[in-house]
This record gives sequence, C-alpha cells and structure tokens, in this order.
Amino acid sequence: MEKQKSVPAFWGKEDWQAVWLGFIVILIACVAVLTKAFDFSAVKFSTWTLGEAAPKATPLGTQLGTWVFWRKLIVTFVTLGILFSIGVKLQGEKIKKYIPAFICLFVIALVVRMVSAEFTLNRYLEWAFWALLIGLLISNTVGVPNWLKPAIKTEFYIKTGLVIMGFSVLFSNIAKFGLYGLGIAWIVTPVVIIFMWWLGTKVLKIDNKPLVITLASATSVCGTSAAIATGAASGAKKDDLSIAISISIIFTILMMVFEPMIIKAAGMTQLMGGALIGGTVDSTGAVVLAGNALGPEAEQAAVLVKSIQNILIGFIAFFVAVFFATRVEKTSEKKVGASEIWTRFPKFILGFFAASLIASFLIQPIFGSGSVKEINTVLDQYKNWCFVLAFTSIGLDTNFKELAKQMHGGKVLWLYIIGQVFNIALTLFAVWFLLSGVVFDIPVLDLFK
Amino acid sequence: MVTILVVVAILVCALWIMGHRLGLVPGYDFGAGAYYYADIPGYENIEKEGVYRTGVPYWVHVVLFIGWGWLMYRLWVWIDKRKK
Repeated sequence: MEKQKSVPAFWGKEDWQAVWLGFIVILIACVAVLTKAFDFSAVKFSTWTLGEAAPKATPLGTQLGTWVFWRKLIVTFVTLGILFSIGVKLQGEKIKKYIPAFICLFVIALVVRMVSAEFTLNRYLEWAFWALLIGLLISNTVGVPNWLKPAIKTEFYIKTGLVIMGFSVLFSNIAKFGLYGLGIAWIVTPVVIIFMWWLGTKVLKIDNKPLVITLASATSVCGTSAAIATGAASGAKKDDLSIAISISIIFTILMMVFEPMIIKAAGMTQLMGGALIGGTVDSTGAVVLAGNALGPEAEQAAVLVKSIQNILIGFIAFFVAVFFATRVEKTSEKKVGASEIWTRFPKFILGFFAASLIASFLIQPIFGSGSVKEINTVLDQYKNWCFVLAFTSIGLDTNFKELAKQMHGGKVLWLYIIGQVFNIALTLFAVWFLLSGVVFDIPVLDLFK
Repeated sequence: MVTILVVVAILVCALWIMGHRLGLVPGYDFGAGAYYYADIPGYENIEKEGVYRTGVPYWVHVVLFIGWGWLMYRLWVWIDKRKK
C-alpha cells in the first residue's frame, strides 16, 4: 500500500496522512465558522419519510430541488475527493485509477446517506448499519468490479474521520459532574473492558483478540464511535468491526426503550436513573431519549455521564494500541522497547488527541462554547462522510459467509450480553453508592429546562 | 439452538420497537441512530455554564482520571499474563 520510498513517512504513510488531512478539514471549518467568510458545511439529507407524515420531515423532492443542497454536495465531494486523492498519490498509487473509483464510491455513499435519513430508519439505526448493508448487498449480488476496488480504503477513511472526531471530544467535560460523574463513568468503564477481555479470551476462548477488545469498548464506552477507534487501534479486521457495531446498534434500540421502563418500575430517582442510563446505553442519542423518558433531571444526568464517557474514547484507544503493540503483536518473549512501540503505534491517535486538546484548551476558552458547537456541527458531517465511505467500503469488501464465521458459533453474542449485564450491574452499584444519599450527599443539578 | 432463538427474539423485538416508533421524543430531531451533541436542546448551556457546581479543583479530576487509567492498565496486563 505504501510503496513510494522517496516520500517521507509523515506525508506518505496512511497513519500520518490521516492526521494532516483531518487537520486540514478542521482548520478550514474553524476559519469558515470564526470568520463567517464562507460556508464549509458538508451535504446532509434532512429527515424524510416513506410512510405517514412525521414531525420535522422534509420531502426528498424539496431537498433535491434547492441550490443549497447541490452547493454543499459539490463542496463535500471536492473537499474529500481532493484530500483523499492527494493522500493516495503520496502513498504511491495511481491517481487515474483512484478518481473514477472514488466518484462511484461517493455516489454509493450518497445513496447510503439518503436511505439512512428516512424517518424510521434514521431514528433507530445508524448510518454505519445502512452503509454496511448496502455495501454487502452490492458485493454479494452484482459483485464489485475491479475498477471500483482502488477506492476501497477502509482504514484510511476511518483514521481521517477519527482525527476529525477528536475535535468534538472536549476534555473540559471531565469535571462537569464532579467526582460523581468521574466515579460512575470512569471507575466502571475500564473494569468492564477488562472483565470482557478476560471473559472473551480466557473463558469463551475467542482467539480473535481485536474483535474482543472492539466489542468490549463498544459495550462499555459509547457504541459505534468507540468501536471504530478501538478497532483501528487494535488492527481489527473489517468483519470484526461490522459484527461489533451491528450488535451494539441492535441492542441500543432495546435498551433505549426498556431500560427507562425498568428504572421507573423499580422506583429509582431521576438522578440515579439518568446516571445509570448515561453509563450503560451505548449511543449518545439513545442516552438522551432514554433519559428524557424519565424526566428532565434524568436527561441531564444521563448527558453528563455520557459526555464524560465520550472523553474516554481516545484514552481507551491509546491504551489498547500500547497493549496490542507490547503484548498481542510481539513475536518474542523479549520486552518490547520504546522505539518498537513507537513504530507499531497507530499515529492517528496522536492526531485525535491533538484535535481534542486544541478544541478543549484553545478554541473553547478563546472563542466560547457557541463557536465550538458551530464548528463541530460542520465537522460532524465531514466525520460522518469519512465513516460512511469507510463502512460502505467494508460492505463492498465482505461476503456473508465471512461475516457469519466471525460470530464464532454465537460466542460473540454471549460475550456482548454477559458483558452488558455486568456493565449494568456495576454501574447500578456505582450509582447507588454515589447518588443514593446513603454514603454521600445527593448532588443538585441546575436544570436548564 | 438457544443462541438462534435469542437472536430471533432480539431482532423481532427491535423491529417491533421500530414499527411502533417507541422511545422517540417528538421535539427532538434525532434518535438512537441519528444524533449529535449539537442537536441536544440546551447542550451548549451545559458546556458553557455547567449544571453542577463542585468545590473539587479541576486538576484533582485529571489526576484521578490518569491514576485510575494507569492502575487499570496494569491490572489488564496482569490478567492477560495469567494462563487461565
């Protein structure tokens, strides 16, 4: 993949390229938002509906009939097309083959984004799911033509998307719920990861370690985003990521609806219930909705705990990368030296951290939370585009038989179920210990609603 | 067999939830699958002013965060070294 020896690693290696490509997107977004000189927003389909009318739905025809939609589409295509083409060229591959393939992949990704904006589909299943499904349908029916294959660069798109995502992870959130939040989010999370690692590798004897750690972080941190980051850090294969994310997405639907019901039936306070939801439901959107089902205080507690958990993505990915470099990938009994760790270490994680630190300690204090929100609204779409390109690539490069093999005869499903039950039990204990008033004073939240 | 039954039950349940549009909030333009912090009403207020006041300095949180992370990493390595 990285054939050109004359290009220095910083420009020619995929990991470093993800860092500088991500930072170019971040920089343009910051300039666009802070100076208001131009609109850098990426194209996004508004919610539309196939069936009965739904709130806030805009008919597809109306969306496609506006100039703004097409302008944003051109901006998105040109930005990503140019950046990824430069990257591919510096990796030593033929740009003439990449460009037509990228155009086709972009069109498929556009269809994915359109489908995943449909009201019911969009409310429950993430774009990652639809990207995988549509990619799988193409590859397992009509097949993938050879000329399209140069654009299938899953890891490149994922790593770039992760660097962009780093800007949205605000480290300042760590103290937003004091030691209560830290206790619920940070004490429990690594314990659950270690428990699932032990269960998966020692008890269930799943030999695919990247799959175990990817599923463990999806369960204990925040679903899809954590799975993508940890999967990339551990060198997980495309099938591992597909399995982990699909399981997490399906269970999130169930937990979003049933967890608040059970909490209500148990008579738990809103504060405790919200914190429990924030610590256990995988996706952030589902956390907000499930918290809202209990009440405003529960919603805010849920958001606070989840926002702390989301900080963990980078740190977990960092430790996973070090662990895999020093323990899983080592070939001899000798201790792995610092230079060897550095060689094996996925450099895009440094880009993720740098983006997070710049947003937390530079942009937010200087320009304020409102500006950071505006910048992240722009960046969120570019991140989504990178991930949709990646997951469509995964689908195009996978067949159903390979995917079924990765379930390891159902062991992976049981790893998730047992791990999630352990996660809920441990979080429940932490919530009771910290927020019930039995041991510590009950914290008071200022509600904004 | 049990695993297959569990998978079927989970999928049926998820489809039933989707079909009945359960768990959604009418005022929120997102669900489990489409969201972003920027979409959460009032989130900028949480970012800006916070909803909880604590007397514990920020650096204490950071030290505890890093300390616990390091401790857990050592535990992970220790567990992984054990044969069973």
